[in-house]
Amino acid sequence: MKLEVRNITKKFGDTQVLHGISFAVESGRALGLLGRNGAGKTTTIRILMDVFHANSGEVFLDGKKFNQREHQIGYLPEERGLYPKKTVFEQMVYLGRLRGIPKAKAAANARKWLDRLEMREYEGRKLETLSKGNQQKVQLASTLVCDPQIIILDEPFSGLDPVNSQILQSVVREMIDEDKIVIFSSHQMSYVEEFCEDIAIINKGEVVLSGDLADIKKRFGENQIVLSAADRSLDMLSSFLAEKMPDRLQITGRTRDELILRSLKNTSRREILECLLANNIEIEHFESYKPSLNDIFVSEVGEEEKKEELA
Amino acid sequence: MKKFFVVLEYELMNYLKNKSYMITTILVALIAGLLMFLPNIIDLGIGEDDTPVSGGWEQDSDADASDSADAECMLLYDKNGVFSDMSVLQMVFGGVRWEKADSVEALKEKIEARDADAGFAVDSLNSFEYFVYNQSMMDMNQSLFEQALGVMGQMKYCEENGLDYEQVYNIFAPEIDARVTVLGKNMANNYWYCYGLVIVIFMIIISYGVMVATSVTQEKSNRTIEVLMTSTDPNSLFFGKVIAGAIAALLQSGIVLGIILGAYKLNQDAWGGMLDMVFDIPGNVLLTFAFFGLGGFLFYTFIYGAMGALVSKTEDINKAAGGIQMIIMIVYFAVLIQLMDVDGIVIKAASFLPISSYSAMFARVAMGTVAAWEIVLSFVILAVSTAVVGIIGSKIYRMGTLRYGNPIKLSSALKNLRQGN
Repeated sequence: MKLEVRNITKKFGDTQVLHGISFAVESGRALGLLGRNGAGKTTTIRILMDVFHANSGEVFLDGKKFNQREHQIGYLPEERGLYPKKTVFEQMVYLGRLRGIPKAKAAANARKWLDRLEMREYEGRKLETLSKGNQQKVQLASTLVCDPQIIILDEPFSGLDPVNSQILQSVVREMIDEDKIVIFSSHQMSYVEEFCEDIAIINKGEVVLSGDLADIKKRFGENQIVLSAADRSLDMLSSFLAEKMPDRLQITGRTRDELILRSLKNTSRREILECLLANNIEIEHFESYKPSLNDIFVSEVGEEEKKEELA
Repeated sequence: MKKFFVVLEYELMNYLKNKSYMITTILVALIAGLLMFLPNIIDLGIGEDDTPVSGGWEQDSDADASDSADAECMLLYDKNGVFSDMSVLQMVFGGVRWEKADSVEALKEKIEARDADAGFAVDSLNSFEYFVYNQSMMDMNQSLFEQALGVMGQMKYCEENGLDYEQVYNIFAPEIDARVTVLGKNMANNYWYCYGLVIVIFMIIISYGVMVATSVTQEKSNRTIEVLMTSTDPNSLFFGKVIAGAIAALLQSGIVLGIILGAYKLNQDAWGGMLDMVFDIPGNVLLTFAFFGLGGFLFYTFIYGAMGALVSKTEDINKAAGGIQMIIMIVYFAVLIQLMDVDGIVIKAASFLPISSYSAMFARVAMGTVAAWEIVLSFVILAVSTAVVGIIGSKIYRMGTLRYGNPIKLSSALKNLRQGN
């Protein structure tokens, strides 16, 4: 299966929220939808779920117009919510039945997912009596109770402690292994990096970057190296490179211990290395730059916006 | 359709599992049912004719009002001896105990001390003053006293002119054998159960309407609505919720009403037909009540449901539903007031309007003259309006799904619907 979002726009009153969002995701792959708050991720997901209608653009599944009602979709909304006064099991079965699966199957699935998420002991408890983390797990179990082919998780890791995050990670991996389409939005880049073959970074209602994560990383790391010296500080090393190779190397960034350099004018790694050795620089670290998703996100969305995001 | 039944079952079970719903239903039915058996359990004195007859000459003139310690005590200050014969007063006033006062002041003092209920200071056959501590709305003493004075005057005239009073009385007030055959409907008999049923349907609409609105708003406030909306279509959710409320209301009122009517039927003889005017409801009226009541209930509950979707907090429901509650109240009072004139233009017009036909039409069926085509037309109007309101309500429900925060005005909601947002 291939789910394609093509050129979706959405306006709320006079505010244009989405300016033509496009991306695609296939079965057995996960797509990470990234973007800062208000970028348009949730609106995009809600259009996918038919909560909102797009002003223009369409969604296709295997080339045909996507009708949400014809497919089993497991949707975990950003605004979590279930019935606080109902028991865990009762509402899971209800939600399963609402999605069209028979009562017995819904009950069996509810038990299966409660077992899988180590929540079976709570099946007879009212939701409001559970901790926030456990409520979140119930919400996830309710999302999966209908055996969905497409899973859309909006910020699934928020509010989970490390142990529960680990459980959720393994569940998401299972879903991917079972050849399901998984779309999830998250602010936690490490999770996206771990599961997602594809990403789409949305900024101010536009997709600023999308595609295969490995390709994107390769492209971002192209002609870049990471360098550090045992006998010089990063400032001294920067001054040295500016003096010796002014028009052949560009400093694109720095971490706490390393400089990130881009080679210009087809300067080879051998030439850089020879220059360093010729000047008796005691090289500590010299390798190809492999950007993290965080680096890519910052570079695309902007350092300032990243700071706001974290704040 | 299948999902509609899933919602219906779930929502209905919510009502049936609700302890206060079950306890209220069982308790009210039990108490009301037991009350109907009361004449068989304790002696209520039903059937014993202890009602005083006022002004009737057939009454035993020797009736001793002072027999009962609880008898009403009346004072008379008669300085000119107008009432030479106190038996006239006792006959006119029935079981009242009469005492004479020495002066107006003494009469007032006794009344103020609550030793007597009321008193009269009579000057002549044409003049008297009535004294009472607290005058009730139903106080008939003044007119009874005027009647007694009239009798005294007539008796005096007959005596002065050598006439036989009883003979004169029988000529002026002969015994007439009158029979009444009601070919249509007896308003006097049907009025009270009509009155009761108007109140019952009003209470059901208000209480269940608010329950449905609260249930919708709660789904918004606890954010369940997004999960629900993405799991099934809004029509199934909205109609399932409202119709579950209707079934719960029907069950509750049906059980309570059924037990009351059944228990009364069993004890009708013991009651001596005393409550026939309230509980002996003809089948056709009950049927009309059921159909129109259900239609009116659904009509308003769909509106309540939509109002619930316009707000995100349960405390805002009254604000959103204020307008509709006002309409329900106006209809309620208008119909109750017009029950005295069920063939009047107000009830006739109200019986065709969907906002009021639920009570006005069955009032006409119970007490007035109404053609079959009028009933059918009114029901068709109500059914179509209910369906339209249901569809619009469902669209408002869908539109209000993710609009959290401040309440949405109904006018903005309808404008958005027109614009297709």
